[in-house]
Amino acid sequence: MMKKLSVGKIIDATWTYALLLIVAFIFFFPCLWIVLASFSKSGSIYSFDGFFPKSYSVATFKKLFTDTTMYNYPRWFLNTLFVAVGSCLLGTFLTILTAYTMSRFEFRARKTMMKTTMILGMFPSFMGMTAVYILMTQFGLINQLWGLILIYAAGAPMGYLTQKGFFDTIPKAIDEAAKIDGANSAQIFWKINLPLSKPIIVYTALTSFTWPWSDFILPKLLLKEKDLYTVAVGLMSLDETEFARFAAGSVFIAVPIVILYFALVKNMVDGIAEGAVKG
Amino acid sequence: MKRKIALVLIGMMALTTLAGCKSESKEATKEAASPTNTIFTGELEENVTIQVLENDTAISKGYFDELIKAFNKEYEKYGITAVDANMDQYLDLANDGPYGYGPDVLYQANDVIMQYAEGKHIYPLPVEQLDCYSQIPEAAWKAYQVDVEGNTYTCGVPVNVQAPMLYYRTDLLPEDWKSNWDDNKNDVPDMVENWNDMYAYSKEIHEVNPDKYGYMKSLYDVYFSSGFLFSYGGYIFGDNNTDTNDIGFAAGDANKGAWVLSQLASNMNEDCIDDTITTNAYSKLADGTYFATLSTPDTYTTFYDSLVEEYENDGLTEDEARDKAIENLVMTSLPKLPESGDLTEENPSLIDTKTMGGVNGYAISSYTKCPNACLAFVDFATNYEMIKLRNEKLGIAPAREDVAEELGGLSKQMYENLEKGNVVLMPSIKEVGQIWTPGQTFFTDLAKDSFRPESEKKFKDLDALKAGLEDMCNQISDAIHTLE
Amino acid sequence: MRKFLDSSWRVKLSALIMGSGQLMYGCVAKGIIYILIEIGFIAYMVIRGFSDIVGFFTLGTTKADAWLGTVGDNSVVMLLMGIFAWIVVAAFIYLYVLNIKSACDIEERVSTGRAPKSFIDELKELLDRKFYITVLVLPVVGVCIFNILPIIFMILISFTNYGGSIVPPELVDWVGIDNFKKILTLSKFAPTFARILGWNILWAVVSTALNYFAGLGLALLLNKDCVKGKAFFRAFPVLAYAIPGFITLLAFKFMFSYGGPINQMIKATGTAPIGFLDLDAKWMARLIGILVNCWISVPSIMLLATGHLSNRDMSLYEAARIDGATPFQQFRKLTMPFMLFATTPVLLGQFIGNFNNFGIFYFLRGGLYMDGYFLASDTDLLINWLYNLSIDNNYYCIGAAISLIIFIITSAISLAVYVKSPSYREEDTFQ
Repeated sequence: MMKKLSVGKIIDATWTYALLLIVAFIFFFPCLWIVLASFSKSGSIYSFDGFFPKSYSVATFKKLFTDTTMYNYPRWFLNTLFVAVGSCLLGTFLTILTAYTMSRFEFRARKTMMKTTMILGMFPSFMGMTAVYILMTQFGLINQLWGLILIYAAGAPMGYLTQKGFFDTIPKAIDEAAKIDGANSAQIFWKINLPLSKPIIVYTALTSFTWPWSDFILPKLLLKEKDLYTVAVGLMSLDETEFARFAAGSVFIAVPIVILYFALVKNMVDGIAEGAVKG
Repeated sequence: MKRKIALVLIGMMALTTLAGCKSESKEATKEAASPTNTIFTGELEENVTIQVLENDTAISKGYFDELIKAFNKEYEKYGITAVDANMDQYLDLANDGPYGYGPDVLYQANDVIMQYAEGKHIYPLPVEQLDCYSQIPEAAWKAYQVDVEGNTYTCGVPVNVQAPMLYYRTDLLPEDWKSNWDDNKNDVPDMVENWNDMYAYSKEIHEVNPDKYGYMKSLYDVYFSSGFLFSYGGYIFGDNNTDTNDIGFAAGDANKGAWVLSQLASNMNEDCIDDTITTNAYSKLADGTYFATLSTPDTYTTFYDSLVEEYENDGLTEDEARDKAIENLVMTSLPKLPESGDLTEENPSLIDTKTMGGVNGYAISSYTKCPNACLAFVDFATNYEMIKLRNEKLGIAPAREDVAEELGGLSKQMYENLEKGNVVLMPSIKEVGQIWTPGQTFFTDLAKDSFRPESEKKFKDLDALKAGLEDMCNQISDAIHTLE
Repeated sequence: MRKFLDSSWRVKLSALIMGSGQLMYGCVAKGIIYILIEIGFIAYMVIRGFSDIVGFFTLGTTKADAWLGTVGDNSVVMLLMGIFAWIVVAAFIYLYVLNIKSACDIEERVSTGRAPKSFIDELKELLDRKFYITVLVLPVVGVCIFNILPIIFMILISFTNYGGSIVPPELVDWVGIDNFKKILTLSKFAPTFARILGWNILWAVVSTALNYFAGLGLALLLNKDCVKGKAFFRAFPVLAYAIPGFITLLAFKFMFSYGGPINQMIKATGTAPIGFLDLDAKWMARLIGILVNCWISVPSIMLLATGHLSNRDMSLYEAARIDGATPFQQFRKLTMPFMLFATTPVLLGQFIGNFNNFGIFYFLRGGLYMDGYFLASDTDLLINWLYNLSIDNNYYCIGAAISLIIFIITSAISLAVYVKSPSYREEDTFQ
């Protein structure tokens, strides 16, 4: 009996690993391809042997960071980092708070608000871009990096539904207990629910950090000076013959995101110590 | 002071309207010169900074830097400084200018600049005062003219002519070309003189070695492909490219042009269907896979750099590689077409190939605070020395006759083509933006047709091509008019 | 209302001068705040609010002419600032009503002999019972300005003639429902709309289902006890996630192009290359779009599902194991309902996101207008079509009208689904 079980376990583990390896390959291969292309010596994607370059060099990366007269990548990178960090902090804060409130409080406008935000998300956003642009000109926030942060952060709570789903699964009994101990709502949130919601905070932070790196519509609209460009806008403004630079520049975007992921990954899994809460 | 004059003008206009129709035309002519004169008083604004938006190539090749240095030195006494606007070369003045985020002077293609003129986002210029006025041909000035309320204004100053060019490599010519491929004995290979020989040579290359090709170019690009239609009587819009009710891609014998394209495609591979060739031509011409392709003059340096790199990989030193590349890479105007449209015809009667093209130039934003200083800058940037320097640094074909004459060769050819009307200028109206996608779809279909099995071919004869072109015209017309 | 009519002159005074009633009863801080609000509002109205509202109706009277130095009106700005002014007025009315209510409340408390609530107490309440107000003020203001205002703007644009040759400096005018009439009477419009809508729904359903289950499955797979090095395996999808979407799309486009590596390999075997994304490749291109979208979306769903999985009540599993439930039974009876419940919003968000997924086909297969479609290709989604109409072809007002129609249809559908979903109706299931 025991023996049979462990055979089953081995089979189970085998196909699990096989599947994982396949998945890893599916995700890794295109990434590897883009990464290696950025190290291509010739700088042209058309001189490859099949999928991969014939010879490699770090020259494009060197050029990316040193040849800044036309395309100031380091500057764009810092700009984006600033915007990403800003909108990540502000956006995560607002989203988590909103989601928490919508999950925990009963008030009159609640259901209406839930439905409204749901509908607002259906609107094709680029149709409103003109309005956002004009609004920003009226507020004098064109060519301001923090104008961008403002818009990202203001839009972030719109996506609170995902986070609300998470809070809905945290037992309310904990709140009740704390209330009896005399804590007010703000304290319950800060001291009890926040520590429990690490996984969703990490998720929210990661998504709101990632967005500015890939969005080019809004920054293109709001940032007119080349020195203020974010990486995405900068890359899109590259001349079509600058393929190598494009590849190198786009690969390098992944670095801060991957670093952030590894810094936060621990919080993602052990958000709630197993069973400890409910006891 | 300026404002006062403007107010007086508005008052006058109101009066004329009151006075009735009779005097209107007279008053209008009187007013004709006024906007330019009131704006450009000739008094230089002092201690101002002019934001100039140049194109990326001019900046990266260092020309722009020299230009503003020279200008700033000359105008130091007035305290006028020109600086790089540091903005995207394709920025939209109509959107940014009104809110104060645009440049003062901008360099762009005529179709882009003239779209701004419609909304009066750029100033009409007193071009007669400029140093370059007499040197620039009528055709180039025409590209910058706009009719407003019955008067004609010029809103830009031409700098250079842009049109497709044939790029090929002399070291890929057959060794015996002088005896077998030069029937008229003018020391120019026949395949770059007429498309029939180009077709024959492409076929030969590909048959000898299936991995090699002769002439290669993605068909889908309307900018390059539409020239073939123009050569046989096609046009974009009627009435000098202003009447959007008359779309002429199918006019005359334009279908012969489409036929030429499809014959050329039959010697290419599937890469001509999407934009592959457009992007890989630089490296494929360099490694000898392609013999010839079409591109604009400003990409010469990119072709050249790729070729130099290739030669270096073959073991030449840098200097040798450079010399060899200069010698072997040739940029020339397009071969002639057969009148019949049949590329297999022996001894055809030939006609000139027309191309779509543009005139790039400077314009002054209506939102500038210092129009006179800007005009001084434009005057300076289009003078003889600067245009010559521009050619040296960027390889452009100047619109100034004196420079073109002195440079001779290709610049002169381009200049002559413009004067002869072989460069069909892009329309200066907004609707031009709506021709690209329908055109692209047709040309993609045409390219794809060469690779369809015989039974599925859509364009089997000239009539089918005509129908295809008419479809494309209808699509453009739909795009422009249906929802008006 | 009754309360107000029956109230004393003090309350009635605060109908004229906000906050005066509160001041009379000694609520100084509150009174001053209300007075400041009123002063601020009046100042705004005098400085620009009033003219903005007038501008909202006229949309400008003098045309700007830079050549003559006429400054003129910018209709679009006037429309937008007009809407802004209306929002300010609405907010003011809300505060005004609040002010009267609070004055009535104070009076009631005083008349029954109690002292009015102190300012400190009310502040404390904002951290406790009314914590939600404190929290939601900022997001609501932000969303109003940067999301709702642009949407109202867009909706109103569909009742104007903005677009084509009528863009500033030309003056825009209100045209009523002309745009909608045009859409309904145009014979070319309906077939394209029907075709694209059909494909769009199919696309949204298929890719949502695929992304969701692939992401969830991956998270569950990684969550299995027998998997060692979870962080390592999880890093691959994260890598894919870290590369911006538009770059991935451009890379995939190249990969599937005629000169791309896949076709190079096909050519090396001696067969003719395949036009994966060219103009005849309708279903092939659609399939590639779905798969590429899956590649892009799965990592984030996986990350989210991982977060949710860690939030399960493990004691239930313990109990199930003791009762002899097999792992599969545990999955079916415990994990699945829990995950479905917690991630319905994700599912919905995915659906909305996919329905309006602009990038995929814009980057993979842009720049074609097909036969049988009006200014669109057979892979275009409604949002791509809208883009073609309003940006490429300048029919801004028509685009706005169509987006309004699409918006009404789609929001009705998704609202119906959402209201029926367990995460909306039974928010307490897992409490």
